[in-house]
Amino acid sequence: MERRSFLKGFGVAAACAVALPHVASAADEKKVVGPNEMKFETAVAAITGGKALVASSKVKMEAPEIAENGAVVPVKVTVESPMTQKEYVKAIHVLASKNGNVRCANIYLTPANGEAFFGTRVKLGGTQDVVAIAEMSDGSFLTAKQNVKVTIGGCG
Amino acid sequence: MKTLIKIKPKDYKAGDIVKIDFMAMHPMETGMRKDKDSGQLIPAHYIDEVKFMFNDQLITKMVIWESLSVNPLMSISFKVPGEGTLKVVAKDNKGQSVESTAKITPKG
Amino acid sequence: MRRVTLCAVALSAALCGILNADEKLSMSDADKAMYAELLESNPAEMDVAEGEQLFGDLIGSEAYAKVLGVKEKDLPKHIAGFPRYVDSAKKVVTLAQTIQMAAASVGKPVPKLESKEMVKMSAYVKSLANGQKTSIDVKANKHMAEMHKLGQQVFEERRGGRGLSCNSCHSTDIVGQRLRMQPLPDLGAKETAAAGTWPAYRMTQSQMVTLDKRMQQCMKNALLAEIPLGSREMVALEVYVTNKTKGNPISIPSVKR
Repeated sequence: MERRSFLKGFGVAAACAVALPHVASAADEKKVVGPNEMKFETAVAAITGGKALVASSKVKMEAPEIAENGAVVPVKVTVESPMTQKEYVKAIHVLASKNGNVRCANIYLTPANGEAFFGTRVKLGGTQDVVAIAEMSDGSFLTAKQNVKVTIGGCG
Repeated sequence: MKTLIKIKPKDYKAGDIVKIDFMAMHPMETGMRKDKDSGQLIPAHYIDEVKFMFNDQLITKMVIWESLSVNPLMSISFKVPGEGTLKVVAKDNKGQSVESTAKITPKG
Repeated sequence: MRRVTLCAVALSAALCGILNADEKLSMSDADKAMYAELLESNPAEMDVAEGEQLFGDLIGSEAYAKVLGVKEKDLPKHIAGFPRYVDSAKKVVTLAQTIQMAAASVGKPVPKLESKEMVKMSAYVKSLANGQKTSIDVKANKHMAEMHKLGQQVFEERRGGRGLSCNSCHSTDIVGQRLRMQPLPDLGAKETAAAGTWPAYRMTQSQMVTLDKRMQQCMKNALLAEIPLGSREMVALEVYVTNKTKGNPISIPSVKR
């Protein structure tokens, strides 16, 4: 072991040690429950009314595989479908499967959109699936998901 | 609540599908965060509804939850029917609301 | 001694995940593209727009150009060369300090460097140079040369209980290693264009932050005493870091982790 590389490693270790106490104290505290706490299954049932969810390649769910931080995770959902009065995507629902309140946004579209698209940025409490559910005008529900690994960044 | 509407791309024709980006400066408090000084929970404070209208016709209605990032972005597609005014009305769970408008001016 | 060393290395690896570049831990090109799109709808644009209004109300570009001793139309090019030695100040100053000087010159209250208004105004002023290349000249005069030298000293000086310097994490031979999951950036690289892309929206803080404030945050987390904004040492550090990215384009506001 060269002294030089040792020092390099140690310097970096020391630099981020400062953030560790936060991790320890967070685990000791009681879990805080938010005002809109809702589990994934409950939220899905509320959207579909118990109808089947069909995984579909028509729903394109874009989110990073690795998120640099959980506070701002870009999410884009596009649903392949005509957008006419007869046949269109009525709604796009975005859920974060492991957040306290899994609901992120319920987007009610109209044929005037021309394309079924919703883009946003979400907060993720940790590594989890971001799920899109498309509510079609024929009453069916299509879905797609993307697992997002939320990493801890460097110092500050 | 400061807001910003962006139409992308900047130049478009009638019949084109454009993206409308709506951004708002909003804390999007989850109600699960503690104030560092007092140790008290900061009450939930988030945008809960956004409506996009073109010439007063509803295009898209959004129900928004506290999981969207601070200073959130909401982006939709819109098929430009012709000239008109786009209006976005955002409301938060404390009842504050803001109305923003942008002119839709297709070229050619 | 050898055992202690090995333990320390194992510990540091465990704590911080110092790993060599590993694809599995890196963002894919698709991921990077998604983050790059954040630049196109950056919440800080609202701050810069507010900065324009604040700046217009407080000073206006005509009075500002006069203080800098340049023509109004030459402002973008001139702004791209900051920090600079300014005659009327008799020292090397940052853009934020020129805003203070200009406010004083028109008899208005001088905004504090750490104020929210100043962050917005300095971002707006720097955004006037968007598309220009960072053109700091550390050889322009002896003042600039001195400040560059001082900046390097500050950058390399090991301080605080853990004996860290800026260089501990930002020396060229450590670039690409990781601090936890974060690859350490090369401050001089074109793709980083560090100094040309601050003030920037920091995603972790959901607000726009200036370069000097960012450096203070870095010091705080590394347990170093924070060098005050506007101090000779902080300006020197800005000179040194800005010079690393000379020639790279200015793009304000940017988005950072």
